[in-house]
Amino acid sequence: MADTSKMLSLFRSELVVVNVGPKSFADVLEKQGYTALQVDWKPAAGGDKQMQEMLQYLGGY
Amino acid sequence: MIFTKIERDRYIDSLETLSETAILNEQPGIETGYVGMATQVFKEVIEEIGLSTPEIAACTEADYVLVASAESEEAFEKAVETVWAESAPTDDAEKPESYLSSAAAKEAEPRANLCQISVPGEYALEEVKKALNAGMHCCVFSNNVPLEQEREMKELAREKGLLCMGPDCGVANINGAALVLSSINNRGPFGIVGASGTGIQHVAAILHEAGSGVSQTIGTGGNDLKEPVGGITMLMGIDALEADPETKYIILISRKPADSVLKKLLSRIRQMRKPRVVFFMGCDRETIEETGSVWAGNLDDCALRALELIHNDYSLGSLSELKEIAGEAVKGMAPEQKYVRGAYTGGTYLDEGMRAMWEATGGLWSNAPMSPEWKLPEGAASREHTAIDYGEEEYTLGRPHPAIDASIRRPAILKEAADPSVAVIVLDFILTPPGHMDPCGYVVPDILKAQELAKSRGGKLVFIASVLGTTADWQDIRKQEQELRDAGVMVCRTNYRAALLASEIIKLRRDA
Repeated sequence: MADTSKMLSLFRSELVVVNVGPKSFADVLEKQGYTALQVDWKPAAGGDKQMQEMLQYLGGY
Repeated sequence: MIFTKIERDRYIDSLETLSETAILNEQPGIETGYVGMATQVFKEVIEEIGLSTPEIAACTEADYVLVASAESEEAFEKAVETVWAESAPTDDAEKPESYLSSAAAKEAEPRANLCQISVPGEYALEEVKKALNAGMHCCVFSNNVPLEQEREMKELAREKGLLCMGPDCGVANINGAALVLSSINNRGPFGIVGASGTGIQHVAAILHEAGSGVSQTIGTGGNDLKEPVGGITMLMGIDALEADPETKYIILISRKPADSVLKKLLSRIRQMRKPRVVFFMGCDRETIEETGSVWAGNLDDCALRALELIHNDYSLGSLSELKEIAGEAVKGMAPEQKYVRGAYTGGTYLDEGMRAMWEATGGLWSNAPMSPEWKLPEGAASREHTAIDYGEEEYTLGRPHPAIDASIRRPAILKEAADPSVAVIVLDFILTPPGHMDPCGYVVPDILKAQELAKSRGGKLVFIASVLGTTADWQDIRKQEQELRDAGVMVCRTNYRAALLASEIIKLRRDA
């Protein structure tokens, strides 16, 4: 069986969400009364997957 | 004339471009407009609606494009100005801070305990790894993630003792919050772990309606119980809910798991201490009951069996009631009206609807059929009895889910109504905080037009609908249902009952 301590700690704590994706998902959580932090995500290297892999390899990501 | 505005290297997510598209199309002098990142899908869409230009063809995925056919350049420029003004943040002083990465957000707010990730599938693994490594549980809405990557993220989560809900997790309620596309639910003694978002939302909504509620609902994503993933999240979810003192009863929901995964799951379920209801679609009763669990035959049954555990005798109504309603409904139909057309916003309800209507119809054509011989070719018009899933990729590629973008399914109503052989149209509606604020009211004008059309042909078109949501949802299920009723729609308590009512009508028409 899994170690449940971190999951139980989540259930007992105030929910604080980091939202990586459309900002509207963070907005509706705030409107429900929860704290949501927005990450301005965009595809690295403008969506070019190979470039992203290369940047990661070079440590530039 | 077609006018374009292109901004290089400016990323705007699909929900925002959707909202900008809606604003653009409302502006005076604009015939058709579209806004988006210049992806392949975007280019295909604008090609289809006749807005393609060589400048856009030369754009890359990193470019943001606003394009419209407009009566003049002046009208277009004015419209662009309005779109940008309306979609810009209203008050810079109050604009909340945003962060460059989940790790930076976690550093700034160490209490952050859950990361909600909705990026294109190919980037999901990297984002999940970052969030898990920063010590956060994850709820991953991204889909199209390869199974081996799903396994990798879930193994890392398990190693760290963190939950990884999804990929493709559309529904989860944690500590009372409705994540992603969930409904807002009352809290109560039932914990749910499910591999079907609609399934979780459906059962939780009935519990809410019956005056009970949920402690936590954990979505695993639809692929968790497949062989390569091995049910990692469902097994962790069971462990968590078994240990959670607020959860008194547990509900497990899935399509039939892969054989090897089912074996592992059943052995875990057998050891559970809390009373539980198990609905694994297509799993026989004996297999489930042998584990000491209550077996459920469908989603409605799953909620009702759960309510029995707390001695709540909530009822969804009888079949004889539906037969009576059907008898009234067919009065006034023209002789050629024989067929049912279902226009669904997602796969779970499509499947449930087709199963319930199969016997009465003798089979339904579909873009996601029960068996391959009933496959409707892509783009083909409906024929005889047909049910379409508007959540399938052919309709949603590059666009948000139909629960958010109600315009995806809207054309179905008048399209199906144009066929004089149609007797019944079945619709489902889903309420969720990021969804359309009035999904039922949005289609009422089309429903009224469709009914007029049938009347002008000397017949009567029956609409049957169900609304998935709660009284706590901002759209308010009662208000949504009433809007449909006011338009003459027969509103059923659940999707299954809607399909049963359609079946009764089809039987009467078949025998007429």
